[in-house]
Amino acid sequence: MKNTEIAMTRNRPYWRQALDENWRRLRRNPTGRSGLILLLIFALMAASSFIPPLISPIYNPMHGVDPHISHTTGPSLRHWLGTDFIGRDIFSQLLAGARVAFMVGITAAFMSVVLGVAIGILAGYAGGWADTVLMRLADMIMVMPTLLVVLMAAALFGQLSIWTIVAMIALFRWPGVSRVIRARILSLKQRPFIEAARIAGASHLRIMTRHLLPNVLPLALLYMTFRVTSAIIIEAALAFLGFGDPTTVSWGMMLQWVWKTGHMFQAPYWLLPPGICISLLTLSFYMLARAMDEILDPRLRRRGES
Amino acid sequence: MKKRSASTTGTRSKRRFCWQQRAACVILAMLITAALAAGCRKVEGRLLRVGLASEPKTLNVWLASDASSRAVLRLVYHCLYERDPETLAFVPWLAESLPVYDPAGKTYTIRLRQARWSDGRPLTSADVAFTVRLIKEFKTPGCSRWKYVLRVETPDPHTVVFRLKKNFATFLSRTLQISILPAHKWKSVANAARHAQKPLAALMRFKNEAPVSSGPFVVRQWRKGAYVYLTRNPYFFGKDKTIAGRRLGPSIDGVLFKFYGTTDVAMLALRKGEMDMYWHHIQPGYMSVLQKNPHIRIVNSPKSAIYFMGFNTRRPPFDDVALRKAVEVLVDKQFIVKRLLQGRGSEMWSVIPEGNKRWYNPGLPRPGQGLNRKQRIKLAFRILSSAGYSWKKPPLDATGRITSRPGELLTPDAKPMAPFTILTPPADYDPARAISGTMIQEWLREIGMPAMARPMEFGALIQQVKVRRNFDAFILGYGRLPLDPDYLRSFFHSRNDRPRGWNISGYHNPEFDRLATAAQREMDPEKRRRLVFAMQAIIAADVPYLPLYLPTLNEAVRTDRFTGWVPMLDGIGNRWSFCLLKAAKGGK
Amino acid sequence: MSLKRYIIRRLAEMAIIFWIIQTVLFFLFHLAPGDPLSRMVDPGMTHEEEMILTEQLGLREPVGTQYLYFLGNFFRGRFGISFHYGRPVARIIAQRLPNTILLFTTAVILSALAGTWLGKLISWRKENRTDKIITVGALVCHTLFLPWIAMLMLWFGAFKLGWFPVTGMISPELWILPQATAPEKALDIAWHMILPMATLFLIHFGSYLLIMRSSMLETLTEDYIFTARAKGLPENVIRDRHAAPNARLPVVTSVGLSLAFSINGGALTETVFSWPGIGRELVFAVSNNDYPLALGCFLLIAAVVLAANLVVDVLYGYLDPRIRY
Repeated sequence: MKNTEIAMTRNRPYWRQALDENWRRLRRNPTGRSGLILLLIFALMAASSFIPPLISPIYNPMHGVDPHISHTTGPSLRHWLGTDFIGRDIFSQLLAGARVAFMVGITAAFMSVVLGVAIGILAGYAGGWADTVLMRLADMIMVMPTLLVVLMAAALFGQLSIWTIVAMIALFRWPGVSRVIRARILSLKQRPFIEAARIAGASHLRIMTRHLLPNVLPLALLYMTFRVTSAIIIEAALAFLGFGDPTTVSWGMMLQWVWKTGHMFQAPYWLLPPGICISLLTLSFYMLARAMDEILDPRLRRRGES
Repeated sequence: MKKRSASTTGTRSKRRFCWQQRAACVILAMLITAALAAGCRKVEGRLLRVGLASEPKTLNVWLASDASSRAVLRLVYHCLYERDPETLAFVPWLAESLPVYDPAGKTYTIRLRQARWSDGRPLTSADVAFTVRLIKEFKTPGCSRWKYVLRVETPDPHTVVFRLKKNFATFLSRTLQISILPAHKWKSVANAARHAQKPLAALMRFKNEAPVSSGPFVVRQWRKGAYVYLTRNPYFFGKDKTIAGRRLGPSIDGVLFKFYGTTDVAMLALRKGEMDMYWHHIQPGYMSVLQKNPHIRIVNSPKSAIYFMGFNTRRPPFDDVALRKAVEVLVDKQFIVKRLLQGRGSEMWSVIPEGNKRWYNPGLPRPGQGLNRKQRIKLAFRILSSAGYSWKKPPLDATGRITSRPGELLTPDAKPMAPFTILTPPADYDPARAISGTMIQEWLREIGMPAMARPMEFGALIQQVKVRRNFDAFILGYGRLPLDPDYLRSFFHSRNDRPRGWNISGYHNPEFDRLATAAQREMDPEKRRRLVFAMQAIIAADVPYLPLYLPTLNEAVRTDRFTGWVPMLDGIGNRWSFCLLKAAKGGK
Repeated sequence: MSLKRYIIRRLAEMAIIFWIIQTVLFFLFHLAPGDPLSRMVDPGMTHEEEMILTEQLGLREPVGTQYLYFLGNFFRGRFGISFHYGRPVARIIAQRLPNTILLFTTAVILSALAGTWLGKLISWRKENRTDKIITVGALVCHTLFLPWIAMLMLWFGAFKLGWFPVTGMISPELWILPQATAPEKALDIAWHMILPMATLFLIHFGSYLLIMRSSMLETLTEDYIFTARAKGLPENVIRDRHAAPNARLPVVTSVGLSLAFSINGGALTETVFSWPGIGRELVFAVSNNDYPLALGCFLLIAAVVLAANLVVDVLYGYLDPRIRY
């Protein structure tokens, strides 16, 4: 028992140290840095989305209708990016959209990675039939196009709340993660420190959570960043096709309003911002992920530094 | 899979790869230039190009429930009677004259014109009888209108006699409004369907790709996903005939139906001159752009429609008529019309639209008309407090002034009112309905009602209110109401209060039921009119439905190639238009 | 394991996976609220008529019976009849599928060729300014939001310039002419294809370029490249003959899979451009509660993805002799 605790205390600072080290490298990496800066801007947008409705109820992104405007208008002092077809402020919708995008992207990615890591560790560590069953399940889910599955569920069950959509995205995006994690676990299992922990009498659960998990965390973090991108895109595409949560204002929803109400050609000031935001936010997460990938893959790093 | 680490060299030559690249570039460039040259095609002849919002799903009348299919079929299958575009009175169409009713024998006798199908065969009473028997045998949608018809007799090829079980008023206006089918084409279909496990389903699944037509046009080609092309029917009975003072054509050579997924794209096509008419309502947002184009004319037509707020009268809180009446005065219909419809519509006060002059009751009360917000709140306050409602903090203080934030509304048994939701379709389906929901929510909150508007996907909404019937209030509309007021019976007769029934509100009123049944039986038009007026008065007093607004139908046509569109209730896409259209002078 | 046995094992696995998907979907569809009739809002239709219709459409039979019917029909090659169109699902899919294949194969192949070519070139100039600009450009292209860029294409190509058609796949005015020739019709389709193809090209091109670039960089560390260099071969020979063929492997995988998944993204592209393909049909079927059609489309997509996975794995073996099953 004592041994494992020592192993644990030795273990923990090590991975923390590694994380610090990686974080420093990430900030030095140009791709990573630009990704971070972009991300910061969007985070700021999301954080400030609470402000406009406080200024005046006409800036409420969903219900706020400007009493003097009843059709779409271009940018003005009163409405920085103009108004939509019923006189709602596009800028406050854009801010609210940033909040929703972060919420959807990060929760969905987090949930799918937690699921993926748990299943990956379980499958890799347990082996045998558990491994076979879980990996076949992963194969099966992997061939299902997530967007279409969620789309179908949305159509079938009338309408999904944004949280159901998030949960569904998570449910269909874990197999990729768990496969990678499982592969890593298979190689970790052969390492002496696992053997040592087992001899010291650590339970399976303990080995999985205290010894294996910390070692796959950086990889999980990397996958989570990639998953954020895909989750945001899926939610936006879903909303664009008209199957989103009609009570939330997301960027995909805004695009759908432009498109369905037929302002695609009439109102470029309405068409451009949401698309730019979706593209840039996914780009920033993607850049971050690529930078992390470079840092975590020693082979690429060696070349990058040479 | 295992990787064998051995060094291999490339197998493909560099030259070949580059050749592929170059070929790809060349092909691409060629495609672009040649395709650009191929574009911008002029139409030849007097071909009318009509834009539809979606592709017709079928040309089989029994399956056609969508607007696009009906639009195409309208030119192909015709009825015995048409409505006059101005008076809306019935005009003999395939029939020679108006039906003759014999009250003693309860028979209607109808003489047919000399008409032919597009394959040259004569259109006879046998076709009419066949169609009716098909409806009754297969129980197609609409069959219940034929419940009171005992049988159809065909004494000679141009006479049809309908023998009724008992008197009923809607024979001409509802029952007879069926498309007559060619018996010689459908007989075999019906025979095959009869032996199927599900006869009606088999009938509906018949692929009617090349229907034999009795109308001015016949379907020449339907390329799925692209277009439906109709050419002139050489045997059209109405050619050069004068009906209701109009000399029928058609003088155009054909109709080409094209499909446009969104209004945006359709409007662009209209402005570019790629279509001559868009057979769909155009939202007010486009009007300014379209009006700038000298070749485009916008036609405004009245609609036979109703847009309303419905209440669930089966359960609290809307089982109380006082509460419904308070909501009625709080809702500012004028605001909705002015702001959400941008003035293109009118307020509705009865469940029958005003444009339906024969049946609309103009003498109904108009509670709240012309009041401002303060007056509305005061009036609603009076209605509610006299019905026993109270507030923790009333919306009016002792001096009668309006307080800014009223406390929550307490029901007559002094409990706080439970929050209720107003279901609406989502904003992309119909912005006006969704936003009215939000507006109404705000108005109701002004007096302390815990209202909550909730947009919901359309199919789910229907399921919720019509099948599961688990709701408080909703906002919906029927875009194409029949002109005959018989639908009032479906909407409010207590017999129709059941899952999937049309009495969505769960309205029960024995007096109304009695009047509705009487109105259906009443053969004297004047007496029937009085009954329908009384029915409207009852609904206006009990408010199971709160009629909100009636939008104007805006359609756009190009004037540079064709003229002579016939404006009518429910738009210019009527049979008269297609029979009377002419090439414009100096048109291409 | 021999290739034959490998394929047989994979096929068996695929069949089981397919059956599970089929079953899950079937029950999902039948347990969900809402039916095709809830779309028909016709106040003229009475309660009795609606009941007759539900009965005739087979909506009132027990789910178990319906499932057995469904499976039985499926093995006899009947995929049901669409509620909406009233026609066999297989017929509708057969009509739409070629349009999808035409658009997506062309776009994916063109962008793969261009992406690998450019990726190969810039990998040779690693850390140079061109490399950086192009890499960032590819990153941006790769993360562009598809429907949005499709709308921009329409806005620019069809509205601002007015050079390209706004909708559909063919110009009806040309096709109804009896004298229209086949080359003219082909050109007409090509003309309609340009905007959707450009959209797809932009999205896919970026990802192929990135894959090719990193795969090239990885290949360059292999021993045989050093050997080639040591032999004193010219740089472009090493690049094109030694590095590129091996580096192209991941692109092949990606092409195979993106062709399969193209139906997925096809839902978006086809919807915006009104391209009469399978993706648009699926979205349409789903929003109309047309279960048989939606189920058919979805099963087709699942089958294509499964098959593509297998084909890619097998193809890998042909292209890379180092791989053994």
